[in-house]
Amino acid sequence: MTDKPLLEVEDLRVSFNTADGVFEAVRGVSFSMGREKLGIVGESGSGKSLTGRSILKLIPAAREVKAKRLNFDGIDLMNASTKQMRAIRGQRISLVMQDPKYSLNPVMTVGAQIEEALLTHTKVKRSEAKKRAIAMLEAVKIRDPERVYKAYPHEVSGGMGQRIMIAMMLIPDPDLMIADEPTSALDVTVQMQVLAILDDLVSERGMGLIFISHDLNLVASFCDRVIVMYGGRIVETLKASELHQARHPYTQGLLKALPQLEKPAGDLPVLTRDPAWMTETFS
Amino acid sequence: MMIDVKNLTITFQTKAGPVNAVKNIDFSVKDGECYGLVGESGSGKSTVLRALSGLNPDWTGDVHIAGEKQGRNRPKSFHKFVQMVFQDPYGSLHPRMTIDSALDEALAIHGLDNRSQRVERALYDVGLPVAFRFRYPHQLSGGQRQRVAIARALILEPKVLLLDEPTSALDVSVQAEILNLLRRLKTERGLTYVLVTHNLAVVGNMCDRVAVMRHGEIVEEATVDALRAGTPSEAYTRQLLLASQGYDRQAAREMIEL
Repeated sequence: MTDKPLLEVEDLRVSFNTADGVFEAVRGVSFSMGREKLGIVGESGSGKSLTGRSILKLIPAAREVKAKRLNFDGIDLMNASTKQMRAIRGQRISLVMQDPKYSLNPVMTVGAQIEEALLTHTKVKRSEAKKRAIAMLEAVKIRDPERVYKAYPHEVSGGMGQRIMIAMMLIPDPDLMIADEPTSALDVTVQMQVLAILDDLVSERGMGLIFISHDLNLVASFCDRVIVMYGGRIVETLKASELHQARHPYTQGLLKALPQLEKPAGDLPVLTRDPAWMTETFS
Repeated sequence: MMIDVKNLTITFQTKAGPVNAVKNIDFSVKDGECYGLVGESGSGKSTVLRALSGLNPDWTGDVHIAGEKQGRNRPKSFHKFVQMVFQDPYGSLHPRMTIDSALDEALAIHGLDNRSQRVERALYDVGLPVAFRFRYPHQLSGGQRQRVAIARALILEPKVLLLDEPTSALDVSVQAEILNLLRRLKTERGLTYVLVTHNLAVVGNMCDRVAVMRHGEIVEEATVDALRAGTPSEAYTRQLLLASQGYDRQAAREMIEL
């Protein structure tokens, strides 16, 4: 980690208009990160995905996205124009989404989609773009890149689709990658392989990674630091290796509720939610 | 034996030719047991469950449930005896039917009496307030819907429950509640479960024995104690075990494409 943080978020708030009035889904999230693997965990509705998306300002339906500070590598994202944002998205900050079935364009070949990601941001010859797309498919451990380059998304498996998406997001060589549940739709063994690819790429390229997931154990074993979110706020930030010494009752409750193979069968402790978690202040 | 399966083969006809989804598998489940079927996507585990339940008639082999030989078409009494709970509580409840009509429909089909009391009782048994009776599925959370799905299956007082990934669409804290509920109901009613899941930890929590499936075959059958001791004999099972324990750079490197 360098001295200057790659990303600084202070007091991020995202609200929506609903039939019952304004609903604040993210309520004052602050964190900063360097070129590291940062995990954000939480249950559905905790605001973890919205936090990831608001960094790219990709929440069109929101009533308001505001933050005291949203700095990325010296750029003030909060006041960036639409044009500036377009230059940042994909090029400097990229987003990998959960399900390759819905996130890849079904009527474009894999190769064309990867090239598009590059050609949108950089001026390179088509032949050069093709060469780099195939090299990128190799980098994400696709065995027959020439064939996959010409294939359509429905012709590849889920695990391969996810690797293609990662290739697409990596080809402009971003500084920060936001991965929103990148492996949740995959089988465990494929998940391991995709994570290994991400892990290598982060360390080789010195990229920052925000890894959003609901899987506590996975995040703890993969990331450097973990942010735990509940009800739109951060309840705890921990070193990943120290997740099992979590202090907040919510984190502890989540950990206890996880079934474990090693433990004998029997009733799992059920999480009881304290209404105070929604309002308490954290030091 | 509550369930006895011999030489079960399931073939689907596709444009590209026949696909053998399940290849000649044998297994049996004792009365009151929880039997796990694990495997990755496409291994055939859900297909086996759908054949057992009668949802998929395209199978060959011998299937005995409670000593009775099962044919392609199942009589009404079969469905009173064997019920199924599906993975996605958002997709398995009719959006335009209230909880009351969803539960009541099963009772009407089977001509049971005291329907109103039975509906109330079923909600109570799965830990839902009676006030939920006249709500629609969209007014319920995922965990509450899965409770309704379990109530709907149990309202006919079956002896066998086929569970297809009953908690994989749910948050961890809700998953714990549903697993606890399923365990309690099993003890109270002496049910037999066949549980399909990709999560070995859920198997460890619920099951007595487990079959590991891969490419339509059972590669290994083990007791959960053996899994827990980490002594499965097949490399594939060991790999699944390892992968379920979280990310490990070294393990990922050694992961073999079996």
